[in-house]
Amino acid sequence: MSATLVLIELDRQQLKRPSLHAITLAQQLGESYDLLVLGSGLSEVAASLTGYGAAAVIVADDPALAEPLADRYAQVIAQVVEKQGATTLLASSSTFSKDILPRIAALLDAPMVTDVLALEKIASGFAYQRPVSAGSMLATVTVAGPRRVLTARATAFAMPEQGAPPCPIESIPVDAGSLPNGTQFVSREVRVSDRPDLAEARVVVAGGRPLKDRESFDRLVGGLADALGGAIGATRAAVDTGLAPNDYQIGQTGKVIAPELYIAVGVSGAIQHLAGIKDSRIIVAINKDADAPIFQVATYGLVGDLHQLVPELIAALKRA
Amino acid sequence: MKILVPFKSVPDPYASAGVAAKSVVNPFDEIAIEEALRIRERGEATEVVGLTIGPAAVDEQVRVALAMGVDRAIRVDDSRALDSYAVARILRAVVEKEAPEVVLMGKQAVDDDSNQAGQMLAGLLGWPQATFVSKIDFLENKSRAQCARETDGGIEVINISLPAVITADLRLNEPRYVSLPGLMKARKKPIDVMPGDAVTPRTTTVSTSNPPRRSAGTRVASVEELVTKLRQEAKVL
Amino acid sequence: MDFAWSDQQRELLDAVDRFAKEQLQYDLIENDRNAVFNHDAWMKCAGFGIHGLPVSEEYGGLAQDPLTTVAALERLGYGCKDNGLLFSINAHMWTAIIPLVYNGTDAQKKKWLPGLVDGSLIGGNAMSEPNSGSDAFSLATTAVKKGAKYILNGSKIFVTNGPIADLLLVFAATDKSQGAQGISAFVVEKDSPGLDLSHKIEKMGIRTSPMGEVFFEDCEVPEENRLGKEGAGSWMFTRSMTWERGSILAAHVGTMQRLLETCIRYANERKQGGQSIGKFQQVATKIVEMKMMIESSRHMLYQFGWAAGHRKAVYAEAAMAKLQISESWVKCCEHAIQIHGGYGYMVEYEMERELRDSLGSKLYSGTSEVQKNIVASLLGL
Repeated sequence: MSATLVLIELDRQQLKRPSLHAITLAQQLGESYDLLVLGSGLSEVAASLTGYGAAAVIVADDPALAEPLADRYAQVIAQVVEKQGATTLLASSSTFSKDILPRIAALLDAPMVTDVLALEKIASGFAYQRPVSAGSMLATVTVAGPRRVLTARATAFAMPEQGAPPCPIESIPVDAGSLPNGTQFVSREVRVSDRPDLAEARVVVAGGRPLKDRESFDRLVGGLADALGGAIGATRAAVDTGLAPNDYQIGQTGKVIAPELYIAVGVSGAIQHLAGIKDSRIIVAINKDADAPIFQVATYGLVGDLHQLVPELIAALKRA
Repeated sequence: MKILVPFKSVPDPYASAGVAAKSVVNPFDEIAIEEALRIRERGEATEVVGLTIGPAAVDEQVRVALAMGVDRAIRVDDSRALDSYAVARILRAVVEKEAPEVVLMGKQAVDDDSNQAGQMLAGLLGWPQATFVSKIDFLENKSRAQCARETDGGIEVINISLPAVITADLRLNEPRYVSLPGLMKARKKPIDVMPGDAVTPRTTTVSTSNPPRRSAGTRVASVEELVTKLRQEAKVL
Repeated sequence: MDFAWSDQQRELLDAVDRFAKEQLQYDLIENDRNAVFNHDAWMKCAGFGIHGLPVSEEYGGLAQDPLTTVAALERLGYGCKDNGLLFSINAHMWTAIIPLVYNGTDAQKKKWLPGLVDGSLIGGNAMSEPNSGSDAFSLATTAVKKGAKYILNGSKIFVTNGPIADLLLVFAATDKSQGAQGISAFVVEKDSPGLDLSHKIEKMGIRTSPMGEVFFEDCEVPEENRLGKEGAGSWMFTRSMTWERGSILAAHVGTMQRLLETCIRYANERKQGGQSIGKFQQVATKIVEMKMMIESSRHMLYQFGWAAGHRKAVYAEAAMAKLQISESWVKCCEHAIQIHGGYGYMVEYEMERELRDSLGSKLYSGTSEVQKNIVASLLGL
């Protein structure tokens, strides 16, 4: 019966770790919070969530919820919010939460704020800071009414500490027959990779259109990422031209990342791309155009031909 | 099959810095318009209706939609600062009147980047939704749509019953360039102006500010210098 | 005479402006060097509606009046630096589309105009011969009727779009004894037996517009491809030539405007002896001269366009506009190079190409001397 309900994202039975960052936002709200997971076969993952300081881990476990279909998930979650009397529903920003939470907000007749970066205490509660126009501006937003729905930028909130005494796990019954039936899951692309997840990687190497072909992309961007144990990202242009799959895209409409080290290879630095990387701790840019905007945000800039410099860099890292 | 395409007028996101940005059709909505037109052109839809919300000034973007090939357009006359929920409520009222089989719109507007209105509309209507869509195929005598979605984990495919709300992602298509014949024809197409739902927005932007600027660091002359800096100065290796 | 644009004209002209700026920017230095025709840009222009500006809507055109059409081409030339592409489009519009619009039967229009408008067909005309240039009607190419066909023999030179043409409007003598009155016009399609389009000619300028020699060796043309009556060719040619003369350089009023703006920017930015070179009278005077030439060119172009939309006889306006714009274009290019000094002479600055491109304008569609002859004869000399 907590005031705040944090939706945790799974990939089948696997925890999506960036979704835990929303717990930190819940803690900043200062009231007790519950965690909520939906899916099928969740006992193990539910157990792994009991140490994050929540009052309870609420589990909706049913084969009908095996895939995150928006109409079903929204209905179940809205019912949980109603039943629990929660006043804030939140989750880390992702295509999962952005698909489902606005639908819940509509069902609950509640206002919603996307991509919260920070809270600001005001008389009536909180104001929320969020990026607009590809992060070129920050807006401070207030909401009216008794309930609200939020998504949190995972990169703006730390990974929460684990180690609180285990909280109870509450199962809520799912009446599969009452769930909407208009959406059927067909398939999901599964890519097996030894590389870390882009959203969580400590090091990210991203490539742009100058890589020219997929072979160069894999050899240079992939090679450099592997030399650093990092993940691969790409610009919109690189994805549009087929150099990299869509889920590698970083930027306003792709993923927002904040790794310790971000290396941009042949990335010009369009504002839409910078929106996705500017909170990285160290930014390295390798580009032959000395006037490319990426150099205006790069911690270290190296001007030159990437086809020559990247193999040199890979070799230098391997030597070390 | 009738397709309703809601679109928003936004400041040109590709305007050069320092130049007053003129208004354009939100790029994601432009993709939605293009897709609706392609569906009509391949004979699967009979009518594409454009819908926007705003004062008379946005008629310029309405004409762009008409010039692209939208059959007719509706402008809900409302010049207030609306939030996504208010937009969804206004859209719902028009959907109930127009009764389209598909509402096709951009996944987000590039000015406020909220990414909510389509999902909220689907929720209000109780319709299935497919967001972030990069491919649409109609199946079973156009009673269902199979949609490929661009998710964080890769492409997901779902199959939804119609009527439904579909939101367009970047790679759904490349919108056509508005032609002169299109522009000429657009002058003859009707724009219906109607009042909207009087719903009160419940989110308010109280202030805006510039984000902290990241300053440029140093140029390094060689790979060797870069590795040294990363190791000794930045300590990330 | 009213040159104030209506809302509709303004919308159209602004759209052309944007189109040229957004869709027709590409590297020309290599294309010019290698004489490459940009077919993609050709299709973009056609798809946008340029080719069909003066064509009625039933054939996919825009049915714009001559004034709006030349003003639209002016905007196109302002944004698009590919003078060869512009030349190919102009040849296509004025020497293939316009004669068909005026002289084609319904069947002929239905057959070819939609393709010429949407860009899928490339047209041109074949008039000049190795031994007849400015004396246009002394043709050696003959067309002899044989059953339901004409058999063409002879050759044509300086055929714009020849190497890439899908159809050419060919002028040939059907009755040599009648002189100019014995010339007829034929639409010759590229796969006609006995037609050879393969001979390219290398030019000094507008190199991105293909030009060739065309040979007819017992070339068979069906009777239904004859445009107009037998013997109507020279009249037809004169009529479309008037259009051609008045309009073919419209784009380059825009070109000159762009050159002017480039020069003004450079004159303000470039410092010598602690001040911008625009402060030097010798430079400022050149820029003012450019401005005067552009303004008078524009007025003469619009006057031609307005007159062509209001009456039939516009020989004088067409000839004077052609003469004024061509001479001004060459002069503006020379000034632009001079203002830019040594840089202006370098390929990278893209001004030497403009000068090379401009020089042909004093030769094609009637040399400057021919234009003066026309004006002189209209003055009763």
